[in-house]
Amino acid sequence: MTIITTISRIAGLFGACLMAATGAMLTYEVIARYFFVKPTIWAAELSQLCLIWGCLLAMAWVLSMRRHITVNAVTNLLPPAAQTVCVAVSLLVVIVFSGVAAVYGWEIFYDSFERGRTTGSLLNLPSWIAELSVPVGFALLAAQAVVELIGLRRKHLPSLGSSHE
Amino acid sequence: MTVILILLCLFALLLIGVPVAFALGGLGLGMLIFGGFSPLMAPQAILSTLDGFILLAVPLFLLMSNILLKGGVGRDLFTAVQAWVGHWPGGLAVATILSCGLFAAISGSSVATAATIGTVAIPEMVNRGYGKRFVYGLLAAGGTLGILIPPSIPMIVFGFVAEESVIALFLAGIGPGLFLVTLFVIFAMLHARFAGGYTPVPAAQWGERLSATRRALPSLALAILIVAGLYSGAFTPTEAAAVGFAAALLITIFWLRTLTLSAFWEAVRESAITTAAILLIVAGAKVFGKAIALYRIPQDISAFIAANIEGPLIFILLVSAVLLLMGLVFEALSMILIMTPVLLPAAMGLGFDPIWFGIFMVIMVECALITPPVGLNLYVIQAVARVSLGEVARGVWPFLALMLVTVGVLYVWPDLALYIPFKW
Repeated sequence: MTIITTISRIAGLFGACLMAATGAMLTYEVIARYFFVKPTIWAAELSQLCLIWGCLLAMAWVLSMRRHITVNAVTNLLPPAAQTVCVAVSLLVVIVFSGVAAVYGWEIFYDSFERGRTTGSLLNLPSWIAELSVPVGFALLAAQAVVELIGLRRKHLPSLGSSHE
Repeated sequence: MTVILILLCLFALLLIGVPVAFALGGLGLGMLIFGGFSPLMAPQAILSTLDGFILLAVPLFLLMSNILLKGGVGRDLFTAVQAWVGHWPGGLAVATILSCGLFAAISGSSVATAATIGTVAIPEMVNRGYGKRFVYGLLAAGGTLGILIPPSIPMIVFGFVAEESVIALFLAGIGPGLFLVTLFVIFAMLHARFAGGYTPVPAAQWGERLSATRRALPSLALAILIVAGLYSGAFTPTEAAAVGFAAALLITIFWLRTLTLSAFWEAVRESAITTAAILLIVAGAKVFGKAIALYRIPQDISAFIAANIEGPLIFILLVSAVLLLMGLVFEALSMILIMTPVLLPAAMGLGFDPIWFGIFMVIMVECALITPPVGLNLYVIQAVARVSLGEVARGVWPFLALMLVTVGVLYVWPDLALYIPFKW
């Protein structure tokens, strides 16, 4: 169980680094355009790729940190037993949704991979590089949600997330 | 009938505590499968959302403001402003509002604004004998300036959903933002004049003023650089955010020398968590939006509004009431994401400018941020000041009234928002 949480954490921290890296790339782009008058062809595209992977890799970690945005106004008023039921149902919704998203996301990825589809942009990267993030991210999220569901038997959890960011 | 059923399902999922992102995405996916549409649309919608160049501005603005925050810029700003206006009648209150307004210009979040300025200003004001309710209300309301004065994460999200220019939205937020600052300042001075009870602060020495200003200056310059860069078209909002992130690093490392490696790493982690949480909601809303569009729900609602609501004033009053009601349970972004696709077509049909409508939504969402039981800024001030939610909530009413006045003025005089982006 803890191994999945550890993988989620490592994936999340890697995702955080990817997001910070977009800052470096886009700052370089602005400098290259205004000071060297030589805009790059890679900065925008690679930073978008970093954002996609960064967000989807961080999903499971954010769940384990209880930081997904959740409406807690009603569940806060419930007794602990009812809260546990709500959290369990919520986790089931997350598992089903992320499972289905992972399966269909895999189809999209595999199709692009087989056909050798490319993005058609300046860099003309293979499309599957971005598309692979969906099955990977959602599979990890589903696994983490299962871990949380099993953990419910031992520990009371009033809610799955916080009500703000 | 379908509309009511879908809304019931959505509210049920949200209220039992399914994270907003997965409630929207899951319901959208369910609707696609149920309606016989291809479920492949769900992962495609998620990918196309996260691929949006404009949304890259979200992590970068968050990084910028988190780094400035870790570098102690909030305290510097408050000290500098206080050195200049602290001796006015109600000077600390005025300094608090102005610092909120300035911090708003380097931060896109109202929670961060309320928390940062609140931590510094609340003890100071309470020590000087300002009424506690007034202080809490002031800080909760002052924080909302964070999302009205650019940069603003909710505006980026609105622009993305509505497919409108984020630059125009940012510029349109300036007028109402300054107007609201003015109203708050006038109220604070009148309150100080009539309620009294506080000990005035002696005027600061010139040396003090200059040294405080020197520390705050780079952050102010950064705020001006961002707005000027956007206004002149020198960079896109995303590039402005990237430049802001780099500048925040330079300021906190070389000028203020306050950023440590662990604080930097903390800022990166925090920004990533917030970004993932926010952008996944946007992606979930995109899946949901696709599904309701295939069920023709926005068209149905537009038609219903066109048939049953006479005139723009009634529409705006009704939308305001709905948003205030929703604000009792929902937080800002979810409201914008759920309501924009539903309401914007109807609003445009009635002749409202989409940028104007965006600013209107942002102010209404700000009201939601300070109305109990779910008012994020109330929670923040409650936590910072360690008092009861009720006490904070009671202090907020006059400020809420001023915000509704601003909405009224904006309705009568749309140029308050639209002048800077379109006529200047």
